Amino acid sequence: MGEKTDVWKGTLALMVLKTLDTLGPLHGYGIARRIEQTSGDRLLVNYGTLYPALIKLEQEGFISSEWGTSDHNRRAKFYTLTRAGRRHLGREARDWERATSILARFLSPGEESR
Amino acid sequence: MSRLRSWVSRLGGPLHGGRLDRDLADEMESHLQMHVDDNLRRGMSPDEARRRALIDLGGVEQVREACRERRGVPWLESLARDVRYALRGLRKNPGFTAVAVLTLALGIGANTAIFSLVNAVLLRPLPYEGADRIVQVWHTPPPESFPGFTRFSVSPANYLDWRAQNHVFEAMAAYGSTTFGWMDGDRPVAVTAGEVAPDLFAVLRARPLLGRTFAPDEESPGKNKVAVLGHRFWRSRLGSEPGVVGKTIRLGGESYTIVGVMPAGFGFPRWADLWTPLAWSDAERQVRGMHDYRAVARLKPGVTVAQAQAEMDSISRRLEQRYPADNKGWGALIVPLRDEMVGEVRPALLVLFAAVSLVLLIACANVASLVLARTLARRKEIALRAALGASRGRVLQQVLCENVVLALAGGALGLFLAREGVDGIVAFLGESLPRSSEVRVDARALGFTLLISVLTGLAAGLVPALRLMKVNLSEALKQGMGRTASDSGGHRTRGALVIVEVALSLVLLVGAGLMIRTLAVLRAVDPGFDPRGVLSLFLAIPATRYATPAQQIDFFDRALERVRAQPGIDSAGAVNQLPMAGRGSTQPVAIEGHAAAALSEQPEVAVRVLTPGYLRAMQIPLLRGRDVGEADVTGRPGIVLVSESMARRFWPDEDPIGRRLTLSFYPGVPREVVGVAGDVKLEGLADTQASPTLYVPLAQMPQTWMSVVVRGRPQSGDIVPAVTAAIRQVDAEQPVLEVMTLEAFMEDSLAHQRVSMLLLALFAGFAVLLAGLGIYSVLSYAVRRRAPEIGLRVALGARHSDILWMVLGHGLRLTLAGLAIGVLGALALTRLLGGLLFGVRPTDPLTFAAVSVLLCAIALLACYLPARRAMRVDPMIALRQE
Repeated sequence: MGEKTDVWKGTLALMVLKTLDTLGPLHGYGIARRIEQTSGDRLLVNYGTLYPALIKLEQEGFISSEWGTSDHNRRAKFYTLTRAGRRHLGREARDWERATSILARFLSPGEESR
Repeated sequence: MSRLRSWVSRLGGPLHGGRLDRDLADEMESHLQMHVDDNLRRGMSPDEARRRALIDLGGVEQVREACRERRGVPWLESLARDVRYALRGLRKNPGFTAVAVLTLALGIGANTAIFSLVNAVLLRPLPYEGADRIVQVWHTPPPESFPGFTRFSVSPANYLDWRAQNHVFEAMAAYGSTTFGWMDGDRPVAVTAGEVAPDLFAVLRARPLLGRTFAPDEESPGKNKVAVLGHRFWRSRLGSEPGVVGKTIRLGGESYTIVGVMPAGFGFPRWADLWTPLAWSDAERQVRGMHDYRAVARLKPGVTVAQAQAEMDSISRRLEQRYPADNKGWGALIVPLRDEMVGEVRPALLVLFAAVSLVLLIACANVASLVLARTLARRKEIALRAALGASRGRVLQQVLCENVVLALAGGALGLFLAREGVDGIVAFLGESLPRSSEVRVDARALGFTLLISVLTGLAAGLVPALRLMKVNLSEALKQGMGRTASDSGGHRTRGALVIVEVALSLVLLVGAGLMIRTLAVLRAVDPGFDPRGVLSLFLAIPATRYATPAQQIDFFDRALERVRAQPGIDSAGAVNQLPMAGRGSTQPVAIEGHAAAALSEQPEVAVRVLTPGYLRAMQIPLLRGRDVGEADVTGRPGIVLVSESMARRFWPDEDPIGRRLTLSFYPGVPREVVGVAGDVKLEGLADTQASPTLYVPLAQMPQTWMSVVVRGRPQSGDIVPAVTAAIRQVDAEQPVLEVMTLEAFMEDSLAHQRVSMLLLALFAGFAVLLAGLGIYSVLSYAVRRRAPEIGLRVALGARHSDILWMVLGHGLRLTLAGLAIGVLGALALTRLLGGLLFGVRPTDPLTFAAVSVLLCAIALLACYLPARRAMRVDPMIALRQE
């Protein structure tokens, strides 16, 4: 287990938005689990980071929340991506891809000449 | 956009904090349950499932706090909490709160009051449109003829040339003032009129409330019988009559058509009740040597003061070449109007401002000392908060917050005190303060108060807060309320604060002491006459009713005769300008037997016109020769008296009696010196050198206005009604103006110094009081703290006197340290007082010594009370406490 790392700074919001985009409305526990699973259990979602991040996204109008019932019949707060959130996700994802592709070229310098 | 939304949402957060908190708790509870469910599905036992979930979830409190921070504006919320907490704490300690708030209120209030003065007088723009473009224009005399004088009023011909030749002024206007008698019903009253060039209103960009101001052609004689009324005169004398424009008003026996009324708040010169056009005759327009008018001008857009000065310099040089006889060595000086109006009081105001700032610093030190004692006493509570997770920053914020709350309360009370105080100070300063009508506690002063309140709170809280940071909190918790090492550290800090207070008080006391000495020196200056028991009044007779010189001479003759005939009158005389009222009119003189010089090289001397009886009424000694007599009238040989300094200057080794001289404006009329009178101070008590003065009898140089001086016998009581009645007998329509005792007149001339002295003394007194309180509270605290030790000493056989000296010694050490620092500070700072002092050096050892002794005495008193309490410590009780 020991290799788990905290979510990189600044990426949690993007992961949350993408998760909601993929899976539809989901509660906080589900989001955390999903992120951990997607990372192949290599990422650890700290709850103290997740909830403030959710509040921030909601304040910014990217997600909305409402109470509902979970698969296992538990009352839970479900988060849904808003239209603004979807636009933001698209923008952020593009930026992120561009950044990672640039970084990738730096990390494997042989690529260009080939 | 999303950021704005986020902030709106955050600011709204605290509004429904409770609901959101519950919501979050529910959410986290459900999160926990889901985690447990998952663990159960993985096959863990229920206990294990819950335990693991709790571990994974981590500290619920931290998550909550993080969310709370995210949701609201954290510092705003904690600030609100701190303020509530501070208010509760202050309510619980009414004694501490009252002392601290009152101390701060006095410090802040005094600062606000003086700031209001500084703001109105020095900072706020003058109440004229584009006031920074207005300048005063002066003549500058040749320094060799008038050593020490840099500004002269302007003469008509030079002013007219300046006005015609310059390219830098949009408008330029000369002005003077005159006094008219006006019948208010059947009572003659004095009305002060500004005699102004029509352009004055353009220079000031002042528009009338009703009617119009003067037309350009109204400055020619014959068309000048028009008047513009001041708002105050219109309101108080004419009942704000709306149809006043076009009516006539009788001034000095002549009819003037009222053409306009100025709005409230306009006053230039500021004492003017109304304005009439300044109309010079053709002859007057040629005069260059008579400096009787002031001039103001408005700079053209884009022209700087320096450019205007350069232009005036070149015009002055041209005039010098063209009229060498009158203008050799004469120049012009441009001074921004604001500097002109307030320049004189600027140093005094700045000194007062510095002084109140010191008072505020002392108040800060005192409150810091009080707060420190309280904070250290609350160490345990604070340690507990720290143990429960409050960060040092939070604790610091709380302590500072408490102080700011305290200071704001003090500021509010101080603002109230300042509003009352400002009115008092302004009333007290009266006419000696320029722009006094504009002084009030306005929005800027309010802002200033708010700012210094917060700064004061922070400053007073900083020392205790920093001390607190050094306190080892867990140590404090362990030891509880007892003594700790850091406690004595706090005590050292309080001692340092007392030293600062004593030092600052000494600086203030030295300042006040120097002003007191200055005033005493000035009062002791011999003005050259004896003002005691002398009444002066001013008579301006209208040239219309007293048109010929003979009529004018006759009026004053008969008036003086009637006055002298009243019972209780010892002697009476008249002079055209009283001593101490300014250097007044000067004229070049040609002295017979001295090398005949061109007019411009002739020495100028002050010329005074007097009547027989004047020297006697003023008790100006007649050193040689004779006084002017009833026989020295027109048609008889011209005579003059000269002052002692004039005699010494022009006839150093000779007898001036019998010598002859000619006043250059009266060529061909040689006058013989018949007597030498003692020197008098012409400008003020602070005159350093006597001005050569020449006295001419009224009967040989008629005047339309004279100051009458009357010396009454000491037992004669109030002679004012008798004197005014006597003058009414000569002319029932003649107003008697400016009736006052010469002593009051002289006291008025000291108004600046007296006010500075009184305010400085007030501030110094307050400073000393605070310093005394500081010493007292530090020593009281020390005695309480050392009670067990003192008890032990007594038990071991220490005598009362040993204990007494122990405590007194502690207080005296603090005081002496403060005195030493204060003396250094005062030596550095009192130089700022230089301009206000007279006859006393800023380092006057007597003042320093007296002030130090006074401060020591007060410190001893402040030490004595705690020392007495220390002597009464009961060893048994004290030891049991331990």
